[in-house]
Amino acid sequence: MSEHKPRKTIEKKVPKAFGWMAEYEDENRLLVAARKVRDSGYTKTDAFTPFPVHGIDEALGIKPTILPFIVLCAGLTGLFTALLMQWWMNGVDYKYIISGKPFGITPASIPIAFELTVLFSAFTTFLGMIALNQLPKFSNPVFTNPRFDRATNDRFFLYVEATDKYYNRESVKELLGGTHPDSLDEVLEDTTSNTLPRPIILGAVLLVVAGLIPAMIILNIRAGYSTDPRFHVFFDMDFQPKKKTQQTTTIFADGRIMRPQVKGTIGRGQLEEQDPFYLGYDPSKLTAIDTLETGRFVSLQDPKPADGAAAPASAAATQTPAADGGAQTPAAPAPTPALNLPWIDKLPIEVNDSNMALGKQKFETYCSACHGYAGFGDGLVHKRADSLVQGYWLPPTSMHIDRVRAQPVGQIFHTITKGQGKMASYASALNPKERWAIVLYVRALQKSRNADISEVPVDMVKTLDEVK
Amino acid sequence: MNPNYEKSSIELPESWRAKAPILLSAGLILLCLGFLCSFGGTATGEDNAQGFKYLCHSYLANFVFVFSFTLGALFFILVQFLTRAGWSTSIRRVAEILMMMIPYLALLFVPIIAMLFAGSSALYEWNSKDIHNSVIASKATFYLSKEFFTLRTVVYFICWILTANWFFRISRAQDESGDTELSLLRQKWAGPLIMLFSLTVSFAAFDWLMSIDADWYSTIFGVYLFSGSMMSFFAVMIVINMLLQSAGKVKKLVTVEHFHDMGKFLFGFVMFWSYIAFSQLVLIWYANIPEETFWYQVRLDNGWMAFSYGIIPIHFIIPFLFLMSRHIRRNRTALTIGAVWVLFAHWYDMTFLVMPNAGPAQLIPLFGHLLGGFGMLSIFASMFIWRADGVPLVAMRDPRLPEAMAYTNPIL
Repeated sequence: MSEHKPRKTIEKKVPKAFGWMAEYEDENRLLVAARKVRDSGYTKTDAFTPFPVHGIDEALGIKPTILPFIVLCAGLTGLFTALLMQWWMNGVDYKYIISGKPFGITPASIPIAFELTVLFSAFTTFLGMIALNQLPKFSNPVFTNPRFDRATNDRFFLYVEATDKYYNRESVKELLGGTHPDSLDEVLEDTTSNTLPRPIILGAVLLVVAGLIPAMIILNIRAGYSTDPRFHVFFDMDFQPKKKTQQTTTIFADGRIMRPQVKGTIGRGQLEEQDPFYLGYDPSKLTAIDTLETGRFVSLQDPKPADGAAAPASAAATQTPAADGGAQTPAAPAPTPALNLPWIDKLPIEVNDSNMALGKQKFETYCSACHGYAGFGDGLVHKRADSLVQGYWLPPTSMHIDRVRAQPVGQIFHTITKGQGKMASYASALNPKERWAIVLYVRALQKSRNADISEVPVDMVKTLDEVK
Repeated sequence: MNPNYEKSSIELPESWRAKAPILLSAGLILLCLGFLCSFGGTATGEDNAQGFKYLCHSYLANFVFVFSFTLGALFFILVQFLTRAGWSTSIRRVAEILMMMIPYLALLFVPIIAMLFAGSSALYEWNSKDIHNSVIASKATFYLSKEFFTLRTVVYFICWILTANWFFRISRAQDESGDTELSLLRQKWAGPLIMLFSLTVSFAAFDWLMSIDADWYSTIFGVYLFSGSMMSFFAVMIVINMLLQSAGKVKKLVTVEHFHDMGKFLFGFVMFWSYIAFSQLVLIWYANIPEETFWYQVRLDNGWMAFSYGIIPIHFIIPFLFLMSRHIRRNRTALTIGAVWVLFAHWYDMTFLVMPNAGPAQLIPLFGHLLGGFGMLSIFASMFIWRADGVPLVAMRDPRLPEAMAYTNPIL
């Protein structure tokens, strides 16, 4: 028992007794004692050990907890909450087609249901455990005994509470004394003063006051006026010693900060800008029709259809020649002229079976959804959009109309690369070779719908008859 | 470790030994009966091809059904040493015997190889010169050729058999010497061997089961088979230990705590299987790409729809809810019922994986397939008895045995 020297005791109070606590050297003796206490009928008991002791629950006679049942109920609540929520949201309240999936509960709802089941269960387990253990409990009468500190180190304690209905001070002392404890102490009330020490109160007040300072400063700045310039917290981040594009400099004689390309060098990616294989047209021939190109671009930007020859050639220099397809400007009053670029006519890839197979595979993967497997513009997306009868659906172009058939291979390649109208660019999904393979396949499709019987190899004509 | 044990309590029950030949012949008879049912129910007049196709699929499904127990056992042994587990020491030997049955069961794979070399494409459609409408198979002609397939299968079996043999030999050596070093040696190798195991099982699942649909692929398929293997392994362990105890063996060594733990694993792997199976489904369902979705379409057409939807309650909802309570898992009768149910669910799963490829769902052939499943189980049981004969059923001198005996589950 420790000596207590209360600061402000007017009269010596008799400390209240909470029960008896016995101390043991090892867990085996604790287990034996716990069983003895349990068999004597005491239920308001507790054991304190430095590590979890197997079998202590049974030795103390602890009843199985109802927590699993509570968690089961919470888990089912979570499950049905999730299902109900998704059924209501996507099936009733806000029907919205997502990836063409049905409304209401679908397999896609299951992960959410799983997550909410786990979430509800986990929270209930954690909070239920805390509630059933009556936590948080900041103090326990057993703490008054200084020997108890060793419960976290190397000693084992058994505590019988006075609130037990069979509790009798003398008989419990006798019972615990008979289990050969290292020590046996009565757990007494902490009689030291329970007022907070003055420095702690002072410190808390100071902290609160200090915590108000930043708030007051911000309020002052927000509400008040100042003629001082803005305060730069990180000056060198607001004013960095660097140049931005289009600025001037004194370092170079011409005063420009953007440097022209050094003669005889090729920048990264520039090689591809010069190669018909990546463009679909021959950029070296671009100058020959530059005026027409310029006219096209002017016509795109000018509300009035401009005549191409009148545009100044100098304006063309600032424009990128290979911009997006002309059909993307519905605001233009007149139909935009067809792209007139020096398209290449000859496929830059070999015409062979493997390229054809590649083109077929890629066409069926990427193009057929809209354009259909045979290229008639009757893919599943189109059929679906058509069946919805929404009015603003622009049907995908058929590969077999004269306009497309007349297009050079380079232009078809360009359409795949840059997109056209509603069709997006496929440059990120397909590499140039795959795009050319698709062009090859499109050509084959076109041929297949417009071939003359004389073009079919003689030995294949017979099979044609059989097909019919 | 403990010299005061009765030797007879850890031996195979005397009465079982006589049952092995009976079980084997019963199994063979059941297999034949099943084949007759299947064949008679599917063959139409002159054309026996459909009947033969059905037989092959049925055989494969039932073979993988029982073979997965031994795969689960092998993984169990590896993982016990990887995690230095003590609780399982008293049940480990039964699992070791199960894992030592891999060479026996490998014999049952020979008919499938023989069928391949006879040039039949009834089971594996890729074993044919003209593969119709099969983009992937036409590219994978080297991978999916009968020679390479056989080579891979042999490699898998060699890996598994060598691993199992090595672990078993050391375990038996420890029975004599009780040397702690032998446990440490197995711990050291468990890690690398578990990697080898996971690779081989994944590829075996791809080759044996997934390639019956040469066009279809699912990268999670190996894990799918693994989850089912572990689940059915624990079910088999529970059933075998229950049978041993009712024959008066290993009564004090395998306690209710061990059954509780195996029950927990059984429950956990029911959940794991569901998680994996659903993961496979939801990605395919959401992406909705025809080359993936057709596998499920096959399982919904031709009368298979009711069967396929049945897997949700049979393989997940019923065992999940049944095994959830600790009172069930600590009750021997209830746990055995759960384990038997899970075994049925595993058979159902294997049927779901394989049989819709063989043709439409019909009651009589499906019943024949079920008879075949029982036949395979009988053969498996006879093999177990022969393998376990003369082997102590508990590793009595394992240094971790006292740990297994002292272990208790906390009261929750």
